[in-house]
This record gives sequence, C-alpha cells and structure tokens, in this order.
Amino acid sequence: MRLALGTLLLLWAAPMAFAQSAGEVERCFQNPANCPSGAPAPAPAPTATAPAPPRPAASPDYTSVLKSSEAERRKLQESLHTLDKYNGPIDGNLQSEASEKAIADWQRGHGLAAVGKLTPTEAVTLNNEAARAPIKRINPTAATNPPPPVAAPSNAEALKALQARLAERRRAAEPKAQAAVQALVRDLTAYMAAGGKGIAGEQFAGFAKWYADTKAAGRGFGDIKPTVEDYGDAKSGEAVTAEVSLQSLQGDTASSQCMMFAWVEGSPRKGTQTFSCDDIAGIEKWKTEQSLKSAWR
Amino acid sequence: MIRAFFLAFLALVIAAGGASAQRSGYGKPERRDPIFLRFPEMAQRYWGNTASHRVVAIPLPRQCSFVYADSYTHGQMSETELQDVAVSACNRKLAELGSLGENYTVGCRCQVVITDDTYVVPRDAMPDQAYGPASIFYRDNQGKIARLNGLARYGALIGHDRSVTFIVDNVNGQPGCEGTFTNESVGAGRFSLSCFNGKFGGRGNFDSRVGAPNDHIVARGQTANGQPIVMVIGLPAQLAARMYGGI
Repeated sequence: MRLALGTLLLLWAAPMAFAQSAGEVERCFQNPANCPSGAPAPAPAPTATAPAPPRPAASPDYTSVLKSSEAERRKLQESLHTLDKYNGPIDGNLQSEASEKAIADWQRGHGLAAVGKLTPTEAVTLNNEAARAPIKRINPTAATNPPPPVAAPSNAEALKALQARLAERRRAAEPKAQAAVQALVRDLTAYMAAGGKGIAGEQFAGFAKWYADTKAAGRGFGDIKPTVEDYGDAKSGEAVTAEVSLQSLQGDTASSQCMMFAWVEGSPRKGTQTFSCDDIAGIEKWKTEQSLKSAWR
Repeated sequence: MIRAFFLAFLALVIAAGGASAQRSGYGKPERRDPIFLRFPEMAQRYWGNTASHRVVAIPLPRQCSFVYADSYTHGQMSETELQDVAVSACNRKLAELGSLGENYTVGCRCQVVITDDTYVVPRDAMPDQAYGPASIFYRDNQGKIARLNGLARYGALIGHDRSVTFIVDNVNGQPGCEGTFTNESVGAGRFSLSCFNGKFGGRGNFDSRVGAPNDHIVARGQTANGQPIVMVIGLPAQLAARMYGGI
C-alpha cells in the first residue's frame, strides 16, 4: 500500500518539477535558501500531503556536480590543482580518494562542511577562485606522476631556498633573453628602415600589419621599447616572449601600441607569433603549446 | 627672529607632510591588473598614450563596476580638473543607463581609482572579478513573459578564457543561479544556466556586444521546458527590458 502510494506521489511530483510557474521561480530567486531542490529525478516528495514521516530539511545537492560532464569534472580538478589542493590525475573522477580529500581540504578552508563533495554553488565558487589565481602552467609529467615527498626543513627555509634558486636561474637566463630581444628589435628596425621588407615582417605577420596600417595612415615611426615577458627552455629550443611598445608619430603627437612577440630561438626563428598584450589567454596557450619551462618567473 | 624661523620651518614640515599624504596611494597600476583585463579598450588607451596625466574613474562598491571613464591630458588640464572630467563622465554614463535599483540594493557612486599613475583606493576595494547588472527574461508554462533581476559576477574574462563560470545574485546579494559561458569564437559561444539546484534553467548561445549604450552580453536559449529565455548582463534592468524584454 505504502509502495503504491509512494509510486503515485512520485508520478505526480516528477512533472511538477518542470511545471514551475513564473511566481514559483520568482519566489525561489528571491529566497533561494527556502527553495527545495528541483532536480527532475529523483522527485522530492510533496511535504503538504505526504503521510510519510516528516522529512529533514532539504539536504545539499551533491549529486549534480558528480553527474556533470567529464569536462566540467576535469575543470574542477584543475581548479583544485591551481589552488594547490590537488596533485592527482586530471581524469574527471571526483570520487577518488585524492579528489575527495582535496575538496574537503578546500571546503575546510572556506568554513564549509568538509564532506569531500561539491554542491553546484561550491563548484562555481571553486572555479571562480581558481580563475583569479595567477596563471600557472602544468608540467604534464608532474601532473601524472607527483614527485615523492621530500622532507623539507621548514617552510621559511624552503621558500628562501626556492627564491634563491629562481633568482639564480633568472640571472643565468638574463643575458640570453636580452640578446634575443635585442636581436628582435634590430630586425624590427631594419624592416621599418627598408620600407616594409625584411625577415621581421615575414616572421611576425601582426607586426607587418601594424607597420602597413601605420604607414598607410601617414604616420611616422618612433621608438621601439622591448621588455622580456618570459624566457625558458621549450620543446624545440629556447622560447622567448617579449612585450614591445611600438610608437607611431603624427606631428607632435605620439601614440604607442603594445604587441607581444613570441618565438623559439633559431635561425630563422621558429613558432613565431604576435599577440595583443591583452590576449593573455592566447599568450599562455602559445607557451603551453611550446612546453615552455620558464626561467624568468 | 629664531621664533619666526622656527614657525616657518614648522609650516614647511606640515606642508611637506600634507603633500606627501596627498600623493600617497595604493601602488602603481600594472597592465594586467583586473581593471585593465576587465576593460581592454580602456587598457589600450591607458597604456598606449603619452599623456602627462591619466585618470580612471569607476563606480564603487565593486559590484557597480560595470562602467568606467578614463581621461587623459597632454598638459592642458591639471590633475584635479582631469579627475573632475573622469568622475563626471562616469556619472553621466551611469545616469544615461538608468536606475540600478531593480538590480542592486547598494548605492553606486563614481570615484577616481587611478590618478597620477597611482591607485587612490585600497586594492581590496577594487573589483577582483567582473560584475554587471543581470536580467533574465523567459516565458513560463502559460506563455507569459517573466523576469528576474540581479547581479552577475564572473571570475574570469569572457572572450579570453575558454570557459567562464558565473553566478547571478538576487537583489539582496544571495546567489540564485549559476552557469557557464563557453567560448566558441571571440566573444561568442554557448551558455548554460541553472537556478535553485536545477529547478529552473536554460541553455543556448551568447554573444558580447561592445559599444553604446554599454558593453553587454546577451544570451538567448531555451528553458528546460523549451520556452525562450534571454539573459542580459551589463545593462540595468529597465534598459535591458526595453532592449531585450520582448522575447
């Protein structure tokens, strides 16, 4: 009897989950905490008419995230990785021991119940937090094979040692990086001096376009100011990204355009590309494609 | 004589202290600071000119920061005059877009945030995410048009990152909906929206629109019931309703 009644209630409740009126949606939007979960299945039992014992308060929805697409689950793992909570494989398995531990760790840090599973809202918060974290490239080998733990003397000492190592690495890289960037500036200058001919235009189409547009607008050319943006070993050589300010002149008025040049050292340069300086995603994607291991940051 | 000298010295010290306090700020702006990533056209202007003075004004608190005004001078105006120009341009934009009362309960007020190449508001008061008034228009099961108004916030830059998650808060600042924008080309792609643990939502396509009356995002799709739904981010509720409310 109870089973039959339960089935009837289930059949009645399932379409109700979809049949929300505008008023119901508005009420939920204005007071989300008091809005019961409306996931179409399993349908919640109606509270007013059900003869069943009183239900506890609506429990958090931990199933939506687990049932989300693999891409979304992977993204959550990447977010945990970005926030240094997770060092396991990016395989979309949020129920692995490492994933649950990482989620619980993140929840604990936010004063949430450390259950190791995420509600949809927590998932969005986690992704947003990771998106705000500084961009960090993942070393593919490290992502799949976490290095064995090393007994660190203390955080302060380890940090000091790390900073010293990074500074030393950058010092060692500095002459090569500056030489590469100065060589680029020479090529850019030669291209402009030759009226739009030379290797710089062939290698950097974005720069050639800027030159042609500026010339067509009847503007003159001013200073070229480069800054090394990143430098390091890549899969096919030493990769460089340089932020270059290109000045154009119209009478007494000067204006600048910021362009990012990216290439792998060689003769000729390889993998050459130009980006707008704002196109951070594009620049970082190029670095990832080149497997750039930064010696600059 | 000594007394006069002492008084003059004291006045000098006080004046120097005052000047120093006026100039003290919250650090120099960097090209990749969130405000420049949020408003790339402004970044292009700010970093791409040789003006003697540069000023940026935005409405604060941070959830109001969906418009901005930047002003530059090559010496014709003083820093103070330029600040007035920027604040008044920012206020004018806010006024032109109309009331935000249906979206926010906070009062938005334009103020100078960068001047003399220095932040003049604390960094933690600056927007660290993208914010914008949001309106969701949809047809319910009876075919009637309904709408929800609030604030959208998203932690990355639509148009730059492949996938951007967002949250829509109600007028009281409580999160009601969440979703994702997935870029398929520059400033356009697919969106999904889920409210109250999936009780209500929709999915479809979005595109970013730049320029007058204000940069905004329009997402069009269908609810789970197959009814049309439109979400607008970046325009106050009344303006969004006039432009897109007739779904």
